Formats: sequence, C-alpha cells, structure tokens
Amino acid sequence: MHTLLSQANSGFVPPSSADFDFAPIFGNSILFTKPVLLVFFSVILAGSFFTLSARKAAIVPSKLQFAGESIYTFIRNELGRDVIGPEFMRFVPFLFSLFVFILTNNIFGVVPLLQFPTMSHIGFPIGITIFSYVTYHYVAIKKHGLKKYVTDICFMPGIPKPVYLILTPVELLTYLVTRPLTLSMRLFANMFAGHLLLLVFTLGGEYLLTSGLILKFLSLFSFSFAIGLSFFELGIQALQAYIFTLLTALYIAGALADEH
Amino acid sequence: MTGTLAIVGFGLSTIGPGTATGLIFAAYISGVARQPEARSILQPIAFLGFALAEALALFGLVLAFVLK
Amino acid sequence: MAMNDDAAFWSILAYLISGLVFWGGAGALADHFLSTHFLLIIGLILGMGSSFWLIWLRFLKS
Repeated sequence: MHTLLSQANSGFVPPSSADFDFAPIFGNSILFTKPVLLVFFSVILAGSFFTLSARKAAIVPSKLQFAGESIYTFIRNELGRDVIGPEFMRFVPFLFSLFVFILTNNIFGVVPLLQFPTMSHIGFPIGITIFSYVTYHYVAIKKHGLKKYVTDICFMPGIPKPVYLILTPVELLTYLVTRPLTLSMRLFANMFAGHLLLLVFTLGGEYLLTSGLILKFLSLFSFSFAIGLSFFELGIQALQAYIFTLLTALYIAGALADEH
Repeated sequence: MTGTLAIVGFGLSTIGPGTATGLIFAAYISGVARQPEARSILQPIAFLGFALAEALALFGLVLAFVLK
Repeated sequence: MAMNDDAAFWSILAYLISGLVFWGGAGALADHFLSTHFLLIIGLILGMGSSFWLIWLRFLKS
C-alpha cells in the first residue's frame, strides 16, 4: 500500500501531443515510423479486399462481393451521380479511392493493437488534400480556360471598381489557401481530438488502477467510458471520411458548373 | 499548470455562437421539412444568420491569438 | 443560387476566416512597423466587412 501511495503522489501525467510521436522502426530514419507503416498496410488491406471481392464477379453475389459492391455503389450514386452530374463517371475512381483510403486509415484508430488514426498527423491530410486541390483547379481551368477562371475568381460582377482592392485579396486567399486548409484541418483535428480523448480515459483508468482501493473501482468507469467512446469514434471516423469525399465532389461540381 | 487565460476566454466565447448556430440550423431544417419548396427562400436567411453568429466565434479565436 | 448546404456552409466559414486573416494580419503588421495600437482593430473590422460583402454577393444576392 505504501508503494501504491507513493506512486499516486508522483501525479498523473496527462496525454499531450508528445504521445503522437513514434520512435523510428528501422535504425534512425524518421521517414519510417508507425503511421507510415499503417499507410502501407491500409493500401495493401484495401487493395486485397477489393481485388478479392471483384475477382469472381457473379450475378448472384457472394457476401464479399456484395460488401465491395455496396461501398462502390454508395460512392457512385450518392457522391458521383447526385453531386457532380452528367460527367460523374470520370471522377468515380478518384472519389472511391479517396473514400476507402481515408476510411481505412481512420478506422485504424479503434482497431485493437493498431490503435492509431494515421490522419491525426497533419502531413497525411495535407497530402491527400493536395490531390483534390490539384484535381478541382485543373478541371476548372480545363473547362473554362485559365483567363476566364482567374477573372471569375478575382472580379465579382456588380460592385464599384475601387472595392476590388479590398475584396480581391480575400477572394484569392479563400480559393487558394483557406478552402483546402479547412478541408485538411477538419479531418486532422477530428482524428487528433478523438485519439487524445481515448488516451485521456485509458491513461486515466490505468492511473486510477495504481491508486488506492476506492479509486480502483472508479477506474472501471473510466475504462467503460473509453470503450463506449471508441464506438462513438467509429461513427465520427466514418463520417469524416464521407465528408471529405463529399466536399471534394462538391468542389469538383463547382468547378464544372458554368458560373461561379 | 501553464498556458494563457486567453484560451479559456476563447472557450467561453464559443458557447454563444455554438448555441446560436444550433438554433439557426434547427429552425432551417424544420422549416424545410414542413415546406420543401420554401428551401430557396430559407437558405439565404439561414446562412446569413449563420455567418453573423460565426463571426463572433472567429473574433474570439483571433483575439485569443492576438492578445497576449 | 441554391447551392448544396454543405458546400455553402464550409465556403462561408472559409470566407470569414480569410477576411479576418488577411486584413487583420495587414493591420497587425502595420501596428508592428508603425508602433501603433488601433490599426489591428480597424483591420479586423475591415476584414469582417469584406467577408460579409463577399458572402452577400455569392450566396444571398440572387
């Protein structure tokens, strides 16, 4: 009991952003850590799942084929056809791989043993945001031509000329920086905060286990709360993957539209 | 404990705009649910209200970073 | 212009942030170099005003 009390006096160390840094796996190279390993694993996992589900395509689908096809149909109909419009088939492969990649990496956050959402490192959301950023700007420039696109963004019709001096920088900043930034920050912040929340309750429960007898019972509540929050996190992770893909589809649709 | 009190102030200042945004979109959703054809009339009003409410939260965010 | 609700929501948020960041940042820089204290507030108000103007033009006018 004395040792337990002295441990309790050492104080609870709350989880911080330092818990998101991992030691390198091979030697001293910081290029290969747990998140990078998880990204490679997610690509192998998703690729083999959809290869297996589509290999023996039958009219009466097996359970595996049905699972793969329902994800594909969901993306094609809900995000492609309903949002983008008649030209949607060109973008379905991009939207589908985006959704599956983000979903797999997010769900790693609640899978036992892996338990780390890759997207809670800001570099990964920024990386995938660059893909959708380049895509929707390229689509718009190809559709309207560079000159008309820039004029459409910079010069809104129907305001007096001196006001352009005030409004054009804000408009340019919105299109070039803030919109992609909100796209990546939302995914990053949700995953970061969710993982931190789970860490608080598991580490708190672990700390209570090392404390006195009454506090040991209280650790039960902390652990059960962590398990409940894991299911809540599962919902958020699926929702964030959906929202990221939906907003990419909406920006592509806006780029294809006639007026801005 | 370390940190600035400005962050606590920002946390407090988000309560009002958060409640306001929730109320605005609740009214918008129930309005569209009762009368779907009124969507094009209701949408600008709802988003104007949202922008006005969200502006206060963003002022809080900026001032939390600026005032040291 | 009945835009999709999600796109409108996040675009409005992006406009508000960029207006505040650009003109507020310009005001803060001017304060730093001229060693005054009132330009930041003027920049923030100007940025918020320009954001509202752009939101009005994009989403509410038609």
